[in-house]
Amino acid sequence: MEYPEIDAYSSMDSPIHRFDPRAKIVSFTFLIFSLVFVNDIRVAFSGLVFSFFILLVSRLPPGFALKRIRMVFFFLFPLLLVMPLTVEGREIANISGISVTLDGLIFASLIIMRALAAVTLALTMLATTRFDMTMKTLYALKIPGTLVQMLMFTYRYIFVITDEFSRMWESMECKGFSLKANYHGLSIFGNMLGMIIIKSYDRTRRVYESMVSKGYSGRPRTLVHLKMSAKDYVLSTCMVGIAIFVHAYQFI
Amino acid sequence: MVEAIKVEDLNYSYSDGTKALEDIGLTIYEGEKVVVVGPNGAGKTTFFLHLNGTIKNPQGDVRVFGKRISDMKIEDRIHQVGVVFQDPDDQLFMPTVFDDVAFGPINMGLDEEEVEKRVNKALSKVGLEGFEKKVSHNLSYGQKKRVALAAVLSMEPKVLVLDEPTANLDPKSRADFISLISDLNERDGITTIIAMHDVNALPTLADRVYVLNKRIVAEGSPRDIFSDWSLLKDNSLEAPDVFKLFKVLNCFGYSSDDLPLSFDEAVEVLTRTIEGTEGHIHLHIHEHTHKEISHVMDSYNHHRNGKK
Repeated sequence: MEYPEIDAYSSMDSPIHRFDPRAKIVSFTFLIFSLVFVNDIRVAFSGLVFSFFILLVSRLPPGFALKRIRMVFFFLFPLLLVMPLTVEGREIANISGISVTLDGLIFASLIIMRALAAVTLALTMLATTRFDMTMKTLYALKIPGTLVQMLMFTYRYIFVITDEFSRMWESMECKGFSLKANYHGLSIFGNMLGMIIIKSYDRTRRVYESMVSKGYSGRPRTLVHLKMSAKDYVLSTCMVGIAIFVHAYQFI
Repeated sequence: MVEAIKVEDLNYSYSDGTKALEDIGLTIYEGEKVVVVGPNGAGKTTFFLHLNGTIKNPQGDVRVFGKRISDMKIEDRIHQVGVVFQDPDDQLFMPTVFDDVAFGPINMGLDEEEVEKRVNKALSKVGLEGFEKKVSHNLSYGQKKRVALAAVLSMEPKVLVLDEPTANLDPKSRADFISLISDLNERDGITTIIAMHDVNALPTLADRVYVLNKRIVAEGSPRDIFSDWSLLKDNSLEAPDVFKLFKVLNCFGYSSDDLPLSFDEAVEVLTRTIEGTEGHIHLHIHEHTHKEISHVMDSYNHHRNGKK
């Protein structure tokens, strides 16, 4: 089974890879929030183009990035079908008495472009930094420990659970099971998911015991060595500048 | 001799009321290597969780180097007793090998330089130098086991508790792991307490054996324990293959004061015996031999054919 390794290409070399993790997280987050609050479709489109430009600069393999972005697009695609029918505005067509509006189409495109820009930036940010470094950076940025621990354990154990799922699936296939969309198939699949949850719960207890036996008292601490260089300051200033500009340009 | 671990009247029940441990009492001395054997569900892991205070407020008295475990600070507890659990995936919960091995020392409040020194030392002891930046899910099972051990060694515990250290390892990893634990005891003076079913590895890792089956059923040298076949039968245990083979050789008239427990010991004993009998071993078969062999086989093969 394929592992969902977000940082599989973090050892590559590019200006984005070399960007200090703290500066990267702060400036990318700033830019993401800025782009998702854009109301003008032309600015949203420019934001999307800019996020793809950043992705290009990061030299991440296109297949790796597009596969993930495509999944988000499929999730958002229904908006293009629903919103022109539900948002009031200028009518561009009428199908059996149901009006299709231009405003609905623009609004759906705006949402999709904003979301794709945000996902592309988030993906670039996470994929160009080792995951452990991202976690350490979040600690360094004083993000609440509980949140970081949840992220950290999710990432660590998703591989273990994937393996467990894979073993159970193989075992079921060895006994002649093949998933069909009928009551029996779905009921077996449901039981299997239930078993995964029970196993995960048991594992949680054992992991916690192991943590306590190493002195864990609710606040894991890590060692992190980060140093900002002049390049990092310049790059983050540019990105934050762009994030501000997309909202402030109309006042200039 | 200094008492490393002293347990008296220890009891433990699960939340549903099932008794897991009953009136446990034992003493383990500094520098000893002790193996705890017992069937599945005998309470070995639960017992180990008491030894470094993971189970808080024990019902009974657990003392580590004379101090009550429940009165000790976390930093002291983890410095005195380190526990390596059976499944390494339960113990490697941090993003990288370095973070996992550094987890204990950081919690002990050591400074960065000391933490890094300890991580390097622990990884070098388990033969995994250069693995610091690796992520746990990309390691082999044997490597994960060794990182899990390093993550405890970095706390430099005086007592090392291992739960099934050789389970699921390939023969080479198993041999490496046994020799590593042996070295830690003999070279570094670490007291080792091990739970294991691997009876063929046990003689190397045990000066003394405790048989635990919710309560302490027996205590003695490996030879004493393995000689008592009814004890083994009652507690679903077995003796090392070499020991059983020499029991059969006894039936054929082979005489030895101490029956060997391991392959190395067997070679030594055989060589000594042959040298002491002018280069020959005399084996014979009489009418009663078959009966004796059959008795030995029945005694030590009690797991087979559904016999109990």
